[in-house]
Amino acid sequence: MSTLAPSALDLEALVTDMWASFVGSPELLLPAGPPADDVALWSATVTVTGEWRGMVSVDLAEAAVLGVTRGMLGFGEDEEPDAASCTDAVGELVNVVGGNVKSLMPGPSSLSLPVVSRGAVELPSEMTEASVLHLDWCGAPVRVRVLTAHSS
Amino acid sequence: MKILVADDSRVMRQIVIRTLRQAGHGGHDIVEAENGRQAVELVQTEAPDLVLSDWNMPEMNGIDALLTLRGAGNAVPFGFVTSEGSDEMRARAEQAGAAFLIAKPFTPEAFDEALTGVGLVAS
Repeated sequence: MSTLAPSALDLEALVTDMWASFVGSPELLLPAGPPADDVALWSATVTVTGEWRGMVSVDLAEAAVLGVTRGMLGFGEDEEPDAASCTDAVGELVNVVGGNVKSLMPGPSSLSLPVVSRGAVELPSEMTEASVLHLDWCGAPVRVRVLTAHSS
Repeated sequence: MKILVADDSRVMRQIVIRTLRQAGHGGHDIVEAENGRQAVELVQTEAPDLVLSDWNMPEMNGIDALLTLRGAGNAVPFGFVTSEGSDEMRARAEQAGAAFLIAKPFTPEAFDEALTGVGLVAS
């Protein structure tokens, strides 16, 4: 079993630093419960393959996607980012989380390019959730998960 | 001075350029590349004074771009700006001839330190 994974505390520190560096919002990320089933989420994933095998996913509600993209591009509140920019921004979020998770785990390993979906993604059946971080940003849910392979 | 910023993410290129400005290096000319292959071509045509490159990119990744440049005898100062900041990646970058590796997420201070280290003064 490949159950080694960063803790939720590791994820929280990483995501907080990333938000401060890239999004630049004075609004804090707050601990929260899981997103409600009826909330439509954008999902972004990267996979790590090698000595450690796993997947990192970042899921955000549409309002968070728009806010993050505005922050990353330096847009004002009245500017509406297009879908391509939102996809790019969310992909970069998961890329940064994934790269940092990869750095915390035993190597050598390789990081995939991000895959972004406007809607829930079907996670591979061989992956099990090892760490999860539920957050709220400006009233919108943000979820970060690390999944590991059943066997390595 | 001219800086080439290579990243497949347009959003990240914008953030890198913004951070350069915040670090006091906003007066340099900026050239952008979307992948390593384009970065190699632009180094040859634009002759930048520094390359800031992502590692993980489609078409050609950053380490292969650096190795291609060094293999062609090009000694342009080359630094990585990447989400992968492990000791292993830093060692690979250094062995390939990179001047530095800035890990994402980063700060303006990290940029200033890295750029000052390769002789680029604040503009």
